[in-house]
Amino acid sequence: MNKLLFKDIDEPGLNTIDVYRRRGGYEQLRRALSMPREAVLNELLASGLRGRGGAGFAMGKKISFLPKGALDIYLCCNADESEPGTFKDRELMQKNPHMLIEGIIIAAYAAGANKSFIYIRGEYVLQADILDAAVLEAERAGFLGENILGSDHRLSLVVHRGAGAYICGEETALLDSLEGKRGNPRLKPPFPANQGLYQGPTLINNVETLATVPAIMGMGGDAYAKLGTETSTGTKLVSVSGHVKRPGNYEIELGVSSREIIYGLAGGPPEGRSVKLWFPGGSSSPVLTGDDLDLAYDFDTMAKAGSMLGSGAIIVVDDQTSVVDVAYKTAYFYRHESCGKCTPCREGTNWTVKMLERMKAGEATPMDLDIIASVCDNIIGHCLCVLGDAMAMPVGSMVAKFRDEFEEYIEARRQESYLGTADPEPELALIQGAVA
Amino acid sequence: MITFSIDGREVQSPENLMLVDAAKYGDVEIPVFCYEPKLGNPVGACRMCLVEIEGIPKLQTGCSTPVKDGMVVHTQNTRVHEAQEAVVEFLLINHPLDCPVCDKGGECPLQDISFGWGGGRSRFIEPKRHFQKPLELSPLIAIDRERCILCYRCVRYSQEVAEDYQLVLQERGAASYVATFDGHPYVAPFSGNIIELCPVGALTSRPYRFRARPWDIEGSGSVCTMCPGQCNVTFTVRDDRVLRVLQRDNAEVDDGWLCDRGRFAYQAIHVDERVTSPMVRGQDGQLVPVSWDRALSEAAAGLTAAGSAVGALAGSGTTNEEGFLVQRIVREALGSRDLDSQRAPVSRDALLAISDPALQATVPDLEFAHAVLVLDTEPVDDMAILDLRIRKGVRRNHVKLAIASARPSSLDANAAASVRFAPGAGPAFAAELVSAAKGEPSSDDARSIVALLREAGEDVVILASERVGVALAALADALGLRDRAGAGLLVVPSSANGRGLREVGFLPDAGPGLSPVAEPGRHAGQIAEAAATGDITALWLLGIDPLRDLPYRLRWEQALSRAATVIAHTNFLTEGIRDHATVVFPAEAYAEKDGTLTHPDGRLQRVRPAIGHSGAGRYGWQVLTDLGTRVGLHVPRVLTSGIALAQLAQAVPFYAGITQDEIGGRGIRWQERPAASAFPAPAPASVNVSPAPRVGPSAPASGLRLGTFRSIWASPEVEHSPALAFLRPRQKIEMAPSDADRLGLGDGQRVLVSNNGTQVSATVALRQAIPAGSVFLQDGLAEDSANVLTGSIVEVRRA
Amino acid sequence: MAEVRRFEHGSRVPGWDASVDLRKDPAGVPDPATTPVPAELRAEIEAQMAKYPDFRSAALPALAAVQRHHGWCSPEGIEQAACVMRLTPGYLTAVATFYDMFDTVPTGRNRVYVCTNISCSLRGADELCHRIEQLTADDADIQVKHFECLGACDIAPMVSVNGIYVGPVELDEVDELIDDVRNDRDPLPRKQLRLRPSADTLPMGDGQ
Ligand SMILES: Cc1cc2nc3c(=O)[nH]c(=O)nc-3n(C[C@H](O)[C@H](O)[C@H](O)COP(=O)(O)O)c2cc1C
Ligand code: SF4
Ligand code: SF4
Ligand code: SF4
Ligand code: FES
Ligand code: FES
Repeated sequence: MNKLLFKDIDEPGLNTIDVYRRRGGYEQLRRALSMPREAVLNELLASGLRGRGGAGFAMGKKISFLPKGALDIYLCCNADESEPGTFKDRELMQKNPHMLIEGIIIAAYAAGANKSFIYIRGEYVLQADILDAAVLEAERAGFLGENILGSDHRLSLVVHRGAGAYICGEETALLDSLEGKRGNPRLKPPFPANQGLYQGPTLINNVETLATVPAIMGMGGDAYAKLGTETSTGTKLVSVSGHVKRPGNYEIELGVSSREIIYGLAGGPPEGRSVKLWFPGGSSSPVLTGDDLDLAYDFDTMAKAGSMLGSGAIIVVDDQTSVVDVAYKTAYFYRHESCGKCTPCREGTNWTVKMLERMKAGEATPMDLDIIASVCDNIIGHCLCVLGDAMAMPVGSMVAKFRDEFEEYIEARRQESYLGTADPEPELALIQGAVA
Repeated sequence: MITFSIDGREVQSPENLMLVDAAKYGDVEIPVFCYEPKLGNPVGACRMCLVEIEGIPKLQTGCSTPVKDGMVVHTQNTRVHEAQEAVVEFLLINHPLDCPVCDKGGECPLQDISFGWGGGRSRFIEPKRHFQKPLELSPLIAIDRERCILCYRCVRYSQEVAEDYQLVLQERGAASYVATFDGHPYVAPFSGNIIELCPVGALTSRPYRFRARPWDIEGSGSVCTMCPGQCNVTFTVRDDRVLRVLQRDNAEVDDGWLCDRGRFAYQAIHVDERVTSPMVRGQDGQLVPVSWDRALSEAAAGLTAAGSAVGALAGSGTTNEEGFLVQRIVREALGSRDLDSQRAPVSRDALLAISDPALQATVPDLEFAHAVLVLDTEPVDDMAILDLRIRKGVRRNHVKLAIASARPSSLDANAAASVRFAPGAGPAFAAELVSAAKGEPSSDDARSIVALLREAGEDVVILASERVGVALAALADALGLRDRAGAGLLVVPSSANGRGLREVGFLPDAGPGLSPVAEPGRHAGQIAEAAATGDITALWLLGIDPLRDLPYRLRWEQALSRAATVIAHTNFLTEGIRDHATVVFPAEAYAEKDGTLTHPDGRLQRVRPAIGHSGAGRYGWQVLTDLGTRVGLHVPRVLTSGIALAQLAQAVPFYAGITQDEIGGRGIRWQERPAASAFPAPAPASVNVSPAPRVGPSAPASGLRLGTFRSIWASPEVEHSPALAFLRPRQKIEMAPSDADRLGLGDGQRVLVSNNGTQVSATVALRQAIPAGSVFLQDGLAEDSANVLTGSIVEVRRA
Repeated sequence: MAEVRRFEHGSRVPGWDASVDLRKDPAGVPDPATTPVPAELRAEIEAQMAKYPDFRSAALPALAAVQRHHGWCSPEGIEQAACVMRLTPGYLTAVATFYDMFDTVPTGRNRVYVCTNISCSLRGADELCHRIEQLTADDADIQVKHFECLGACDIAPMVSVNGIYVGPVELDEVDELIDDVRNDRDPLPRKQLRLRPSADTLPMGDGQ
């Protein structure tokens, strides 16, 4: 297959500017700068490239939303990569940082931005160090700074390290965090394209999205759009993890079958086991089951199947694992990461975890499943950002799709607990009364 | 106006109002917790206000969605009801629901919204979180974290209104809680506002806790008389006692905030130390309570004996009516010309110039001007509430703020430019500004400030201390502010009703309405001198204790000792009165008063009685009329405060015809009434300012330059309010680290500050921002007050 | 009953039972005249402030500098950073407590983050974490934290040792790993992420 992002990814020294340039690096930048901004933007529009960070919004379109004029426009590269199961940006930044930097410079040119930032999660120490070094190299080589390659384009690039908060991947929380505040999401509108960083128009894109830009410039937007499917163009890095033999990042053409990725590339679950459920797009995506393995892996098919492609992170769970444990881990994560700003997410994730804890302790009844389902419903669509939904959707989908298993689990745990030995009736009555 | 549909009805409202506000035009209430426009842009945190808007798939927050023409909004369908019930359920899962023992009970938005929009059931059977409560957040505020619904109001207030950044959220998610840095108390001049902002019983007033239930109390509107800010307040009254002070939002005055002095110093109304009965000094030299008749006749006798050798001074909350009556008595019945209500003399000509209606700015102008110049005043100390207004303008409307002062200002961080001059050089610096504005040679500092103001735009508001004087008018003219709406002068007087007192004629050189007098009398400083030398034999003090409130304490001590008669209307026996008064009348607490005040921007406001008089107290105008009659003042009897106002409105041409009804609950600026045209034209010559050579803030040849200031907390009310007593200032000397190094002094050390044989002791407070060569001491203290010192250069040495 | 997690002072959320100390002064912006700041720390923070259009953006880098300098975001360190940045220490505390990587209580010099999120726990992270905690229980020098997904699920179960990613860590490698940490050696060099080739380039069927 045609590798665009992972071409010779393990080439020694690829993270240095010399090797990168020897392989044709920064040539696309040179070409882009020789074109009018609009022409560059047209290539991006033609490519149909959709954001790789989770929401899948067309990148070219996002740029065209930016107001024109004398305002300072900012570009933020979202390298917070904290969605459980996702680790593609990490490998890209570590092994080919200059491709990202080149993509940022070209995108900034198309967007008319002259200040850019890479917001990288604080845990990625190695990758941030590599980026820092690469930015320095690019500055020395004249790709960053004033009058880049003799053009009138100027751009500064600062690598900004986060400090451990998933919510800072949400674009507006990222902006607050980058402004030195707590990473709370902002109300939208105004959207970042109008009022983002320091109240200025801001373009925010994922690492992979931006790193794809040089390839698009290289092959032309139209040629890129021929890869993948009509509405999911191009190639995508997929992080496969969990119960597979060969976890890792794979570059695929969008639209291949999911089975091909999970079994063909990642080797499938260990011998003798089968796929019980899988998250197609990070832990925020509603789960799919073993029956869904033949679905094409692209934005629309996943959406039609009631889930989403998200960040392109497939987590595979085999048949030996209890769905309750997976639901608990998922809910626990979102409770930990909820920023606490809005009520349904802050209280709802907390409540869900408590109910799941009660299940694990053998103190729950099937009625609690109804409450969990209702709590998830009450979260979805009612929050300030979608982190709340990101817990409610997968947990809700697990309860809906594996209700029988939940009920068995509840009964089994109840039998093991102190309630199993006592007469359960009074307790149950109490709980039922509360449910009414 | 646009038309939109809400719950199937067409409603008209102004465009772009947030839906929650627009809905009110159709009598629809959308519940809110976090929405509070006073705190800035909506944050959309609580999600209580979700509504359905046709054409938008997700429910939207009504608090952040501007209404548009043709919008179709639903607040009453199942989908919205379910969302509202869900949010209430979420808010209540960890809420203790301890309403029976909650101070907010009965006036709690959470109770009301749970009742009105909640599902009325709970499915949460997990144990609720329990924490110790209530905890102290400061000596004034208790925090109950179990009850907090994390609506962000209090922390937004601290960050976006008071800008003290002391109260913050810590941790995140369900573990978030409201707290301060490392267990430091949240103490700030405006901290109490968070109590009123909190929509639950999480933040409660410690002085008010468990004093009353909402059904025990009544609210009574009035005005705070503790500083020239004159914030509008509502007294919470139970059994004829004031138990609480709440804001009474008036955008023209206070914007709905109060300072902590205004909020908590009501406690001083009901303390034993208050003077509640007339007293005279007995044979043994002690003040003893006596009947009104006795006190009045002793006072009358003293005044009559002194005749034209009476000197009268007024300050603090003295109303227009009281001031007017006293000046009549002094002038008409006693034949004296010696009366003053200013701390430092400002001539009639100067007052006419700076009070010219064509040059007056209003309080809201501070918020919407292009630029604001704060000149020789520290808002938080001198007119507290304006501090918040200036911050708001800078933050929300990008007002360019310039500060020119001797002492570093707490607004420096918000200012586009701050310059320092030597203590006392305010008028000289103003003259420089005038030169700079006219393009004449001037200092760099003055030129840079003028350039900044000019660049910002035409609407400039100058907030300045009254002591800067006549140069202000020249400056306003040079900047082209005359007749400019939204621009002009806002002059901070030296006492709460300073403007009113001078407009009713409580001045040595002007009568009612700033009318000219045949021959000017003595100003405060000269009254002291005359009393000390025996030329004045009776002193009459209204709401003022010269030892506390005026410069030259030693001179005043001589004056008070020598005067044969010292009559004081006072709430507290501060030193000067305790030791020297011969007759003491109980002054009224502001919650007992009935009268009018004039705000520094010309707004007449009513002070209305909320409670009856403590002890033997009487209305001020009543006492003064009685006294007037006894000393032979022949005027129609004053039987009500309305009559008192009518008399003064007759005498002050530019107040003509004003009535209590017209003033109403919000006040009215006299400049906006037709009678304003009767304001006397200033003498043209008076606006000529000759620039005096300015002293820079540089170090003097020897010693240190002394500047003084009076802290917001330096007042007897603060001293006598148990809850505020911890804020009572103690003398400290603020100095630059370089000066301290040179003198071998360190932070916190005790020192003696001396000059001309006078000295006070103080504690060193090092501050980086103090200009080298200058030091600052506080005025208005009971002990070691800066007014003991008599010169402008001091020596500092280790105690 | 379900196990209720409680912290040492009896409640389940640290800080919620904390009252203020009324003897302290309110914490405004620290005055440089009375707040000594180590020169290197000041220089580092000032350099960060210069990098951004708004100096406040340097809050996170400044706190990271404080943590490097003092070992944790101590009140003293936060005051120093606040003094340099002309912010209140409350502001910086609000920021510091929001992020998982800032320690606002004293902690061990070595930071061992064990991922216990979904992918890692599917591959035994919970036992791994338990083991590491047991082994380091009385070592004040080592801070062990359960962490959410560290973005390296391909080496699950994984551990970050002072920022160095290692994995997959087998249970029988824990002793060696902790030994490396204790002796300031490179942790499990053969298992470090930085040396790992891309799964995409490996020939098919070469998984583990
Ligand atoms: C809770 C949450 C976490 C997110 N985390 C990330 C992230 O770690 N990395 C990322 O690129 N986008 C993340 N996103 C998506 C961003 O909000 C945003 O859509 C994206 O950065 C846009 O870039 P793209 O258009 O290139 O995908 C997150 C969104 C949410 C709601
Ligand atoms: S949904 Fe969760 S993370 Fe998003 S704003 Fe609300 S509380 Fe914060
Ligand atoms: S203490 Fe009150 S005002 Fe502050 S967040 Fe909690 S509920 Fe809101
Ligand atoms: S600012 Fe002045 S008028 Fe307003 S509450 Fe405070 S003391 Fe009273
Ligand atoms: S009032 Fe609208 S979200 Fe809180
Ligand atoms: S789940 Fe452990 S690194 Fe992702």
